[in-house]
Amino acid sequence: MRRSLATGLLAILALALVPPAGAQTREETLIYSLQSDIDNWDPPNSVLREAIILGYHVYDHLAVRDLKTRRVGPNLATSWTNIDDTTWEVKLRQGVKFHDGTPFTSRDVKATFDRVLDPTKKMTARGNHAKIKAVDIIDDHTVRFRTDGPYPLFVERLTAQVMQSDKVIREKGHEWMQENPVGTGPYKLVKWNRKQEHQLVRNDDYWGPKPAFKHLRIRIIPEKATEIAELLSGGVDIIKAVPPDQMDVINKSGQARTGTSPILRTAMLQLDQASRSGPNPFTDRRVRQAANLAVDNDAIIKFVLNGLGDRVATGVNPMAFGWDPGLKPYKQDLAQAKKLLAEAGYPQGVDVLFNEGPPIVEPAIQQTNDAIIADMTKAGFRVKRNYIGDNTVLVARIKDGKAGSMFNWSWGYYSVFDADAILFDVFKCGENYSYYCNPALDDLIIQGRSTLDQKKRTEVYVKAQKLLFDDAAYLYKWGLRGVWGISNRIEYQAPADEVDRMFLVTPKKK
Amino acid sequence: MKRYALRQVVQLAVVIVGISMLAFAILHVIGDPVTLLLPQNAGKDEYARYNTLLGLDKPIYVQYWKFASRAAQGDFGKSWYADTPAFKLVLERMPPTLYLTTAGLVTALLIALPLGILAALKRHSFVDSLCTMVAVAGQAMPIFWLGIMLIIIFAVQLRLLPASGYGTWRHFLMPAFTLGAFLAPITMRLVRSGVIEIMNMEYIKTARAKGLAERLVVIKHAFRNACIPVITVLGLQFGQLLGGAVITETVFAWPGVATLTVDAIRNQDFPVVQCAVVLLALIIVTVNFLVDMIVGLIDPRIRVGA
Repeated sequence: MRRSLATGLLAILALALVPPAGAQTREETLIYSLQSDIDNWDPPNSVLREAIILGYHVYDHLAVRDLKTRRVGPNLATSWTNIDDTTWEVKLRQGVKFHDGTPFTSRDVKATFDRVLDPTKKMTARGNHAKIKAVDIIDDHTVRFRTDGPYPLFVERLTAQVMQSDKVIREKGHEWMQENPVGTGPYKLVKWNRKQEHQLVRNDDYWGPKPAFKHLRIRIIPEKATEIAELLSGGVDIIKAVPPDQMDVINKSGQARTGTSPILRTAMLQLDQASRSGPNPFTDRRVRQAANLAVDNDAIIKFVLNGLGDRVATGVNPMAFGWDPGLKPYKQDLAQAKKLLAEAGYPQGVDVLFNEGPPIVEPAIQQTNDAIIADMTKAGFRVKRNYIGDNTVLVARIKDGKAGSMFNWSWGYYSVFDADAILFDVFKCGENYSYYCNPALDDLIIQGRSTLDQKKRTEVYVKAQKLLFDDAAYLYKWGLRGVWGISNRIEYQAPADEVDRMFLVTPKKK
Repeated sequence: MKRYALRQVVQLAVVIVGISMLAFAILHVIGDPVTLLLPQNAGKDEYARYNTLLGLDKPIYVQYWKFASRAAQGDFGKSWYADTPAFKLVLERMPPTLYLTTAGLVTALLIALPLGILAALKRHSFVDSLCTMVAVAGQAMPIFWLGIMLIIIFAVQLRLLPASGYGTWRHFLMPAFTLGAFLAPITMRLVRSGVIEIMNMEYIKTARAKGLAERLVVIKHAFRNACIPVITVLGLQFGQLLGGAVITETVFAWPGVATLTVDAIRNQDFPVVQCAVVLLALIIVTVNFLVDMIVGLIDPRIRVGA
């Protein structure tokens, strides 16, 4: 008994010490790292940024953004025209094949949108395309989209929907699609070890330019310090969201470098003008203006963020369609700020509550909050700080209208480079994430989304930004910049839309 | 021995039923599950529909029976987050954690046994102080710090080992050492005090008096008896080790069940939490059962006394 027990224990130990092995040549392999994994391989059924990124590698979209010009151009669609205010005709690329060999045709476009728009399917992406009423097949490579009223964001939104196969949707079904992506994209999925790694291999039948690296591994490394160590020891080639204070470590290592890019995300402190959380001093415009005049954001960007920010006059990002370059941001003016507070009835200063968020989306948020509050204090604001460590809790409180008089907020536009993508969600009366309400602005927002005339839209958004600036809707901060860590063995351009494209990576020329 | 084993098995069964009740209760003590599941603006009809759908309108004992009988077949429902059966998710992630904790346990023993015995035999000497220092240092070092230090030294500076990940024996060394270093100090101190106590026993004097070599006295007579408290404590520490595994897994990007469980708790993914709690508890209970068996084998007084 004793001996068999000992043998048994030894056997368990032996098993324990010999985990399964897996090998690949490093030369032809590119390794990209993410801090958290996707929930499924069905991009329209996921809300995660990681799902968007991985989707780009296995699937194709009808249209894609050119990273240099930031304009949307053809991809699986070769052209689009609006026949009338509510009909778009889209021509499709010929000779494209899915990974299972079936050709890509208009049936796949229709099946993809039918599936996403079907309310019973409860797909996450449905909201993005809710303006589309139906997709009609004209011939094998022509489709028509019918929209519910004029839909100026139609082309932008084509970049947000991967094309899935009609055959797979019909024959394999929803359940199967959660783990088995069949796309037309530059890479094919070989293996997915949940929360560990995705192994992809180049699609040698790809219709477009073929990726330089044959193998692509996407590793999940939750701990930032480990991610950076992997980059420096050559275990990983690209990491994202490098903290500003680690940039030097990477740049001086001789192994890797950092790359930065402005990204489509603006940060602000929302002020409860709409008094969703109850009466508060910020319902008075003078108090909001005083807050904007109190803070020296230029100095904060320069000294706290190492220059990793782009000053904005309102919430509209410089990269978004409709941005007004003529509108200059608030400049610090403490005397004027104090004067406005006194006029508003607070000559002795005013108490406000500040709900602070965790450092998940905005780099160095703690440090920039410290600096902002120091400035506000100089102008007479007495800020009571309340730290909320869990971002989901903060977001839930914001949605519930319980976020208080002032709170951290940043908005990523759902990657749609258009002013409407922030104005509607963050500034319109009654929207979940808006603590501002002004019928005059709402009129402009509706005007802007009801016409296809881009010139007219630009005029509308210039007016809207002027209004938001004068009314000091929120405390405006800056457009964020992303920081990537890039191995010296490769060439890579940091992307403005926060979508890393590994198929564009090339080996460094020697 | 058979009777002793039988008693232990009965105890095991009772504990497992208790755990399944606790796991069942998780969903009910944190609030109304339907409110958690539904969006803010859901109407009364939808609420009622989901209540029936989840079977929450039935009496509590019926609900428990349904949960327990399904759980016994490995059906904990689908993850609310990943659209996959919870059991499959948890089971996939179980082996890495078991490998890691076992390797951590072995490492801890490899450090603790020699050092503990050495410290006891050379009591109050320089060697003893050195061992105590190692123990104190080990206990004072947080796992994440030790893990990151190892990565910086062995992966970034020396380029000897991969910084993180899972797959080959080289991936194993740093996580196993990190976890082992977490458990080694307490084990070492136990071994030391156990051996010291036993070395003063009458039967050791007898062994020496009958002329046994000191080496044999230590290995055959002292060590075997000193093992009993050590094995018991190791069994109890196994749960602690799983706690340590959460951090070790995070630092080394180790795809284990410990991080899965913590993520599931954070995401309020209850089927996964319930499944993980039940399976992990089963493992801990089984380990403790094995410990009891081993202790019974080593020390006849225990199995006879029982």
